[in-house]
Amino acid sequence: MTVTFQLNGERCRFHEDPMTPLLDVLRREKFLTGAKAVCREGFCGACTVHVDGEPMMSCLKPVGLVSGCSVTTIEGLSSGDQALHPLQAAFEAADVVQCGMCFPGMVMSLSAFVRDNPEATRPQIKTAMAGNICRCTGYERIIDAVADYLAVQKAGSQAKEAAHV
Amino acid sequence: MSETLSGTTHEVSATVMDLPRRDARDKLRGRTRYTVDRVRPDMLHAVLLRSGVPAGRIVRLDVEAARHASGVRAIATGQDAPGLYGIGIADHPLLAIDTIRYHGEPIVAIAAETETEARAALALVELEIEPLAPVLTMGEALAKDARLVHDGWRDYEVLTEGGAREGNIAWEARTTRGDVDAAFARPDVKIVETTIRVGRQSHVPFEPRTAIGSWENGRAHIETSTQVPWTVRNVTGRVLQLPPGRVRVTVPPVGGGFGLKFDATIEPITALLARITGRTVVIENTRQEEMATCLCRENAEILIRSAVTADGEIAGREAVVLMDCGAYGGEQIFLSTMTAHTLGGNYRVGAMRLVSRAVYTNTPPNGAFRACNGVYNTFALERHTDEICQALGLDPLAFRKKNVLGDGDLGATGQVFEGNVLRPMLERMDALRAVTGTVEDKADGRLYGRATTVGTWFVFVGPSAATINMNADGSATLVTSGVEIGSGTMMQSLPQIVAGQLGLTPDQVVVREADTDSAGLDVGVGGGRTTVSIGAASIGAAEELRNKLFGFASELLQTRPEDLELVGGRVAIKGRPGSGIAVSAVVQHAQSVSGPVTGTGSFTGKPVPFMSGCAFGHMIEALEIPVFVVHEAEVAVDPDTGHVEVLAYRVVQDVGRALNRRAIMGQIQGGVVQGLGYALHEAVTIAPDGRIREDGFETYRVPLAGDVVPVVADLYEGAPSSGPLGTKGAGEVPILGVAAAIGCAVANATGKLVRELPLTPPRVLSLLKGRERAPEFPHIAASFEANTLA
Amino acid sequence: MDMQDGPERIFESAATVAEAVAARASGAAVLAGGTWTMRDPRRGVTLPERIVALSKIAELQSIEVFDDRISIGASVTHSLLAGAVSEIVGLEGLAAAATGAANPAIRRVATVGGNLCATEFAAADLVPALLALDAEVELALADGPRLLPLSEFLKARAALLKTALLTRVIVRRDVIASAHIRLPLRKAGDYPVAIVSVARSSDGTVRVAVGSVEPVARRWTALEAALGGKVATAEEAQALAEKTNDFIGRDGIETEGWYRREVLPALVRRAFAALRKGGAA
Repeated sequence: MTVTFQLNGERCRFHEDPMTPLLDVLRREKFLTGAKAVCREGFCGACTVHVDGEPMMSCLKPVGLVSGCSVTTIEGLSSGDQALHPLQAAFEAADVVQCGMCFPGMVMSLSAFVRDNPEATRPQIKTAMAGNICRCTGYERIIDAVADYLAVQKAGSQAKEAAHV
Repeated sequence: MSETLSGTTHEVSATVMDLPRRDARDKLRGRTRYTVDRVRPDMLHAVLLRSGVPAGRIVRLDVEAARHASGVRAIATGQDAPGLYGIGIADHPLLAIDTIRYHGEPIVAIAAETETEARAALALVELEIEPLAPVLTMGEALAKDARLVHDGWRDYEVLTEGGAREGNIAWEARTTRGDVDAAFARPDVKIVETTIRVGRQSHVPFEPRTAIGSWENGRAHIETSTQVPWTVRNVTGRVLQLPPGRVRVTVPPVGGGFGLKFDATIEPITALLARITGRTVVIENTRQEEMATCLCRENAEILIRSAVTADGEIAGREAVVLMDCGAYGGEQIFLSTMTAHTLGGNYRVGAMRLVSRAVYTNTPPNGAFRACNGVYNTFALERHTDEICQALGLDPLAFRKKNVLGDGDLGATGQVFEGNVLRPMLERMDALRAVTGTVEDKADGRLYGRATTVGTWFVFVGPSAATINMNADGSATLVTSGVEIGSGTMMQSLPQIVAGQLGLTPDQVVVREADTDSAGLDVGVGGGRTTVSIGAASIGAAEELRNKLFGFASELLQTRPEDLELVGGRVAIKGRPGSGIAVSAVVQHAQSVSGPVTGTGSFTGKPVPFMSGCAFGHMIEALEIPVFVVHEAEVAVDPDTGHVEVLAYRVVQDVGRALNRRAIMGQIQGGVVQGLGYALHEAVTIAPDGRIREDGFETYRVPLAGDVVPVVADLYEGAPSSGPLGTKGAGEVPILGVAAAIGCAVANATGKLVRELPLTPPRVLSLLKGRERAPEFPHIAASFEANTLA
Repeated sequence: MDMQDGPERIFESAATVAEAVAARASGAAVLAGGTWTMRDPRRGVTLPERIVALSKIAELQSIEVFDDRISIGASVTHSLLAGAVSEIVGLEGLAAAATGAANPAIRRVATVGGNLCATEFAAADLVPALLALDAEVELALADGPRLLPLSEFLKARAALLKTALLTRVIVRRDVIASAHIRLPLRKAGDYPVAIVSVARSSDGTVRVAVGSVEPVARRWTALEAALGGKVATAEEAQALAEKTNDFIGRDGIETEGWYRREVLPALVRRAFAALRKGGAA
């Protein structure tokens, strides 16, 4: 069967087994190696991509189930020489990265989280990270960076509102 | 602290900065290509047939049917790689030859056009193994008449002389200083004995071990995810019986190592299959293989006994440490040495004797893991110390302040420690606690405990080489065999050091990825050695460059070389910033008159005096650069379920000199959290069939975001260090004291003797219910001398 | 029906329940979110050769809230369920189960039906939560729909699912408070080693269900009988749980059976305490 879906804004066709994990299609067929195959069981989050805007683990997503969907990978989040996603920029500035293997998934997961939860507290950020494992950093600096990012966004939007008043 | 250790005040101040990582942006965008991301469609995929039994003899191995399967291009067996490798003892074949020694041991490697075809061919291999009764525990291995894991142990090539060996004892290291019997016989001492048992820890690097081998112009080229390119080169040479110079190893960014990648494993197999096929061959461990054959931090059994006077003087100490090396000796042979320096560290002790035995079992081989056996020896020593305090009615913190190693005190091998470091660090912990306060209120009805512990570890100095090429634009290219495994040394420390030496900005320093063809020998990235050893070699290279640049500039500027300095991208006249001439101009001038400007440097550790006749079978008799830590934990224990929550965690770490405080803080947070995993969550158990049960993320539980707390750390600077600019490695030791601090805090919270790790909820509940018994080791004799081969 | 042939596998995307039932009857395995099935190879199980996906069946994706009951489509994900029931008084336990299971990315994909139909999955969160609510499941069979209590369904799950498709879960709205206490070994993100779900109906009936302790979740009928409809304090409930603990804990890599069994009375206490506070765990 042929599965057709949008991949980073372009039409993508896959002609092999529809039970192939989306992750393998990305890495082995499309050479989009940003999503990492780490646990392959839905625990670590390193393979997180957006399916119709929602972060999901591509290791457990049979490609047959993304037929007609729109898939965005880390490569599609800020492609070419485009500016980084502001959360990526916040991570870079805070020196959060170590080995880096978890970060494509961490960014895909948390970029959606900050979009949907602009008021999130530190404990809520931690809860949101239950499915994104990092073996290097001990998490706290990532959490700080997300919290700081939200505070800056909030301050920015309040300043905008104030300017409109 | 003087500024004269290496370099001038200016060079130090120009080096210290919170330099961001140059690799962060690509890593955040998913653009970094780790080895595992470099698989191309034209590569062959290799898979391994691994043993499904822990011990046996290969009766029949027929690969003919597999050889003719679709897509198969090559098959290798043990016969194709007859050389043995190892550390200290060459006991390890690349692929099993005749004998199976662990569940998961590779027997046959198959390369095919696709992984699916390779796996299908595996099923066609005809393999008959006559099973043998496995030796799964150290108790079984040390039993009288135990079956030998290595029948032919006597015949192995000895790579390092000095260790006692016999049967299932792969290596024994022993230390004796002073008259321990006399100390124990003193009428004024009380004898306290502690037994400790710890399990294995799996590294779980996010990038599994992956290697890509090709055969180029009669030589092997292996691109691999390793911490030790030179070890991979040498082991590949050994097992394939090639001159090591016919092996080239290059290393892309490594997606986490933590010590797992401190040995060669699958890499030589790719070279072998590439030689047979003439094609490029990739092997990528599946996560299950990665965890089932993880070279874990070893499980260990410890008996420690001390003779202490009523006022808390440690008159004598003796200990027996059994380290499970698994089926092959590996890193445990080397690590047997470190028992002396960790159990014999921390405290001033009158007389002591320690024996450390690496024991063969039919289990997957163990290896190195961040601070290695230091982690559990520190746990054992600190628990023992608290048990001493309990037995004598002494305050644990006061006891530590009184007894920690200070200036002029002797280590286990008679080395003389310099400077008072641990005591002022304990005082700094008091100060830190005064600032943060304590959080007993957060225990919220649960059992609350707090503990402060100390630890001694070292920087694993050893050979490193560096070359710096000056470029015509004034930038510099640093060529070493260093690998970026995530700790930031190659991305932060080294560019900072080189830039500081050459008066450049760090972004003007290009850092070359490791390639054994372009850089000299290096023992690898690990043991906290990269900043120290490669840093020192880099400073040596920079020194040569400076002299050359000053020589040329002195002609151009008509100034004496000794009046010049490198600052702000210029060769300037001392004390007159902005004077002189741009480095680029000097380099261009030099290139035109005598060719490119290059500096080389090399480094290795220097022997440190120790007492002769103390150490037997040791690979390091004394620590060149000791490193100390003080850790403090506050915990709450749920009396209903046994869950331990860490409420607060504080660290005072001896860093020598902090070149990048922010980066060090990141290492401390990450290292402490790995330690929390070891202390509380991460269990590796061996099934009756010799298999590691926890071979996936469902069952092997690393800490998640919800399980951790922000670590508050104070960096202690100024302790003696022969490292460049007074540095010490900072990434290795943050894990050292965690199990000790957590174990002691849980003991304080529960009032129970904590003698085993990890402290999972079931174990803690069992402890609370009084069901946990102190470990008993019938295979450790009551008399010390009966536990040694000497 | 949109039938597509892969090289080795038949993958059908059913447009209606009837199509899915027909495919099931002819041997296709049912694929919902895929989070359990896709781990088959890791468990040493070959992926099914014939698959019928439910993702295009709109009617299975709805949650309908009526005055007397709530009807939850089998393809509703944990996160949709959590969003839909989090404000409904009485369903605090179900909301906690849907919010606490696995991790956010899995909850966005894993379905109610998948959670109830994964026969080998002892630690499913929704099962005890729905047992405590005395939920019913609706099955679609070739000869029409069939409604049966969840507890009955669990007893015969494997056999029933050979021909039936679980389509909906029906929860009566006579529950005034419920709670769901899960005990993972870490704070979150792993499977709970034991779960206690409790619910109190308007008539005073209290139901207690236990998950993850035995291979299949079940009601704690001995404790329910001991409680006898009385309003018990958390401590009283714990004491009764100690006396009526008839569970045989399953041994697993993560823990031995004794631990699962022994933590139950404390979890009962916590569940009852949460019940008194209105269900928030």
